[in-house]
Amino acid sequence: MSKPSKKLTLSKKHNLTGWAFLAPGAILILIMSFIPMIRALLLSFQSGVGAQMKPCGIMNYTRMFKDTVFIQSIKNTFFYLIIQVPVMLIFALILASILNNKDLKFKGLFRTMIFLPCATSLVAYAIIFRSLFANNGLVNLVLVNLGILDQPYSFLTNTTSARIVIIIALLWRWTGYNMVFYLSGLQNIEYSVYEAAKIDGASAVQSFFRITIPLLKPTILLTAIMSTNGTLQLFDESVNLTSGGPANTSITMSHYIYDMSFKYVPNFGYSAAMSFLILILVAILAFLQMKVGDKRD
Amino acid sequence: MKRKILAALLASTMILSLVGCGGGDGAASTDNAAADAAPADDAAAPADDAAPADDAAPADDAAASTGGAGELTVWCWDPAFNLNAMYEAEKVYQKDHPDFKLNVVETPWDDIQTKITTAATSGDLSTLPDIFLMQDNAFQKNVISFPDVCADLTSSGIDFSQFAAGKTAYSVVDGKNYGVPFDNGAVVACYRTDYLEQAGLTVDDFTDITFDQYLENGKKVLDATGKPLISMQAGECDLIMMMMQSAGSSLFNEDGTANIVGNDTLKTVMETYKKLKDAGVLIEVNSWDEYVGSIVSGDVAGTINGCWIMASIQTAEDQSGNWAITNMPSLVGVSSATNYSNNGGSSWAVTTNCKDQALAADFLASTFAGSTELYDNILPSGALATWAPAGDSDAYGAPSDFFGGDAVSAKIVDFSTKVPSNITGVYYYEARNAVATAITNYINGADIDAEMQTAADTVNFNMGQ
Amino acid sequence: MTKVKKFGMYLFLCIVSFISVFPLYWMVSAATNKSAEVISGRLVPGTYFIQNLKNLMANQNIGRALGNSFKYSIILTVVSLVICSLAGYGFEIYHDKAKDVVMSIILLAMMVPFVATMIPLFQMVSKAGWLNTTIGFILPTISTPFLIMMFRQSARSFPHDIMEAARIDGLSELRIFFQMFMPTMKSTYAAAMTITFMNAWNSYLWPKVIMTDATSQTMPMVVANLTEGYVTDYGMLMLAVLICTLPTAIVFFCLQNAFAEGITGAVK
Repeated sequence: MSKPSKKLTLSKKHNLTGWAFLAPGAILILIMSFIPMIRALLLSFQSGVGAQMKPCGIMNYTRMFKDTVFIQSIKNTFFYLIIQVPVMLIFALILASILNNKDLKFKGLFRTMIFLPCATSLVAYAIIFRSLFANNGLVNLVLVNLGILDQPYSFLTNTTSARIVIIIALLWRWTGYNMVFYLSGLQNIEYSVYEAAKIDGASAVQSFFRITIPLLKPTILLTAIMSTNGTLQLFDESVNLTSGGPANTSITMSHYIYDMSFKYVPNFGYSAAMSFLILILVAILAFLQMKVGDKRD
Repeated sequence: MKRKILAALLASTMILSLVGCGGGDGAASTDNAAADAAPADDAAAPADDAAPADDAAPADDAAASTGGAGELTVWCWDPAFNLNAMYEAEKVYQKDHPDFKLNVVETPWDDIQTKITTAATSGDLSTLPDIFLMQDNAFQKNVISFPDVCADLTSSGIDFSQFAAGKTAYSVVDGKNYGVPFDNGAVVACYRTDYLEQAGLTVDDFTDITFDQYLENGKKVLDATGKPLISMQAGECDLIMMMMQSAGSSLFNEDGTANIVGNDTLKTVMETYKKLKDAGVLIEVNSWDEYVGSIVSGDVAGTINGCWIMASIQTAEDQSGNWAITNMPSLVGVSSATNYSNNGGSSWAVTTNCKDQALAADFLASTFAGSTELYDNILPSGALATWAPAGDSDAYGAPSDFFGGDAVSAKIVDFSTKVPSNITGVYYYEARNAVATAITNYINGADIDAEMQTAADTVNFNMGQ
Repeated sequence: MTKVKKFGMYLFLCIVSFISVFPLYWMVSAATNKSAEVISGRLVPGTYFIQNLKNLMANQNIGRALGNSFKYSIILTVVSLVICSLAGYGFEIYHDKAKDVVMSIILLAMMVPFVATMIPLFQMVSKAGWLNTTIGFILPTISTPFLIMMFRQSARSFPHDIMEAARIDGLSELRIFFQMFMPTMKSTYAAAMTITFMNAWNSYLWPKVIMTDATSQTMPMVVANLTEGYVTDYGMLMLAVLICTLPTAIVFFCLQNAFAEGITGAVK
């Protein structure tokens, strides 16, 4: 993969071919994402109830920093981000490298089982998690019978435990998903590299750190950016598992924006402004991740 | 398959050109469409040209959904309940109008709300149906936020005076009627008579009582059976709102300002709720499923909720005969306290997109606002009328075996006439959420006055846009 | 590998698999129980499956919803894979400063919550007359920054010497893409296909805005219908959810071998 030499041989024709290749995708994104985004940006400088909007300057942007619920939602979201994303990615990496082992039996079965959670429909999984963590649910039953708890603990109505349930749910649902990316990335690495390392006397842990991680770097970057983005836009779990409660201590930014648009008296200008704050936050984080992970040489 | 893919690819490139030059064109065609008798037809036509791959043939269905004499499209959400009611209404109306046809589309309430918001905000109302069902609590908000969506029905020939006053109040804005009341949300208190018996009590000991007596009785039941009297979903303030309305109190004043700080009824309600919870008479559960579960699996000795909860209770077939209903307890120390309240319920709204509003109004006037036959037909599904004449029908006097042979329907209709009306307010959901936060913190030991102040600040913040 | 180590590895995998699968087992067993039993936490399969199925068939048009979901998801997946892999390939193989800049701009598109762009998007689709159509369903998600990025990242491991060789042999750029890149990247395509299909199948917010007709409802919308009433029949609901989950599970199960085969083919 010697990029500089490629650059030299790249003719103008190839350059144009490249543009032609990416044109359909890029133009679709332009129309389907950027035009609505620009409209939303314009909207964020307007305020009003429902369809009756008036220009209001940057009022929406100053307003959100006085909105205690929104500030709470930012804190909650970052709490999820900082804990859940690293844990999930590391766990997915470990699982993927175990499952990539050539000698492993029932590989397909394990793979499918671990992947299945993210194929589960949201409704089912929300009901299942709520019932598992209910006062008379399975988790309480086990903990009480093991003598860890004296009496059932109300997981979803206490701040810390409600947040932990959300994180567990996210781990459960998305670890297998990320694992698939790593597996597919690992397939593109030749197995002989590992065998060579083994002959040179490298342990499994060593080859994990020296071979797997460096070679998977592009994929790890992809999943890191995706997960960051997904967590900052986290919506389903907050709505379906805890309804943002207790007392808004588990509500996420997207959940609050949705409420502001469709549950409360709609104020789309304000919603749009809050959405752009998310955009800025994700962009900064993605930029940092790219800086760290996307060095070409 | 291959042809399809190719067609889809072709279509996607055509979109580019269409959308590219589209702004003006598209707008013009929708404008025409709005004036047209069958707008969906026009609007859907380009889709057919551009997307030969699509065999859903949307144009036909869409055309069928709007306009055309004698046909109305309706959105509502519960097949066993309000969809069924609409089909029955269609049958009733067809007797005099054989050419009449309804096109009922099952759409969950959340989706209806999203669709209305999207359509109204984007200024394209042509996607809306002729009639839709609206949650009573959302009525004020939608009519005021989107004044173009709902048609004014005040002088449409529907006699609103025959509905319970507390019920019509939800859909009246600035003295104009925008909705035809549908289902009854009168509050009932349901009890497991077998549990009460073990504590030496009967349902009579729970009739016309105050919350103080409720608490005392609850302790007895708890001692005798180990079961709390009631479960409630944490973080939702259904019971709080029911208690408030039972005393005719609201979270808003007539002029729309928040009525939270200094609202003594609210304070009493919050204190009562905490007392019940501290005594173990009330337990909080995590979710709606768990709430219903606690009732049907016999973990609690009863509940207080809108009368529609009885349908869920009746899914526990093994408990038939062990249930009884009565009115709810009243607040102590509030002069306007009553034993009656309301929770939930919905009303029919006609949209401005309806091409034949006279037909829609006449249909509603001769069914939901004029046919005892309709209400008799839908009674088995649990749809109780708020239309007074329906309650006089024999069907309402029939006893229910599940509820110990009591004539529950007649009882509920009687309750519903005694419900004090209150002010929903445009910012109902904001206020409700703020109060839920306040009560959660108060239960966990925070100061009640400070929490009420915070709730008021939150609501005022939301209103000050 | 020592025996102990091996045992530990299998034990670990079994525990993880059990945790992953348990909720699904619960779902299957719930689909065979009565509503009241489901809600009171019964974990053992019951005998109510047929009745739940009958109720579901009477209550909802499952066949039509499944048909719609399959139609929308398959068309979207195929179109999306072609367009996004072309773009990802274009970005990486012919990459220069300008294209890298375009790529980072494109990435911005996935960072705005959908709630914010939904209304303008609805306006466009509605004005074009694509409500209740396949084209309206697929258009916003045909080209996603995520898929483009995924193909761009994996194109990085596509060997350039092979390309040069093919060019010398006189293959056109488009043929290099279709005949060399596509077969080599089988595993990436398989992963992308699984994920695109899954997203398309489960997408809810967008269809709920643009599908206003009963005839164009999708499977997730049917599931949502079942949760809305005053009374939720949990047995029936879980059966619907099960039916809604199966296709994605099957797609994954069938495609996962393609991940493994990804390495074989034209590389060597």
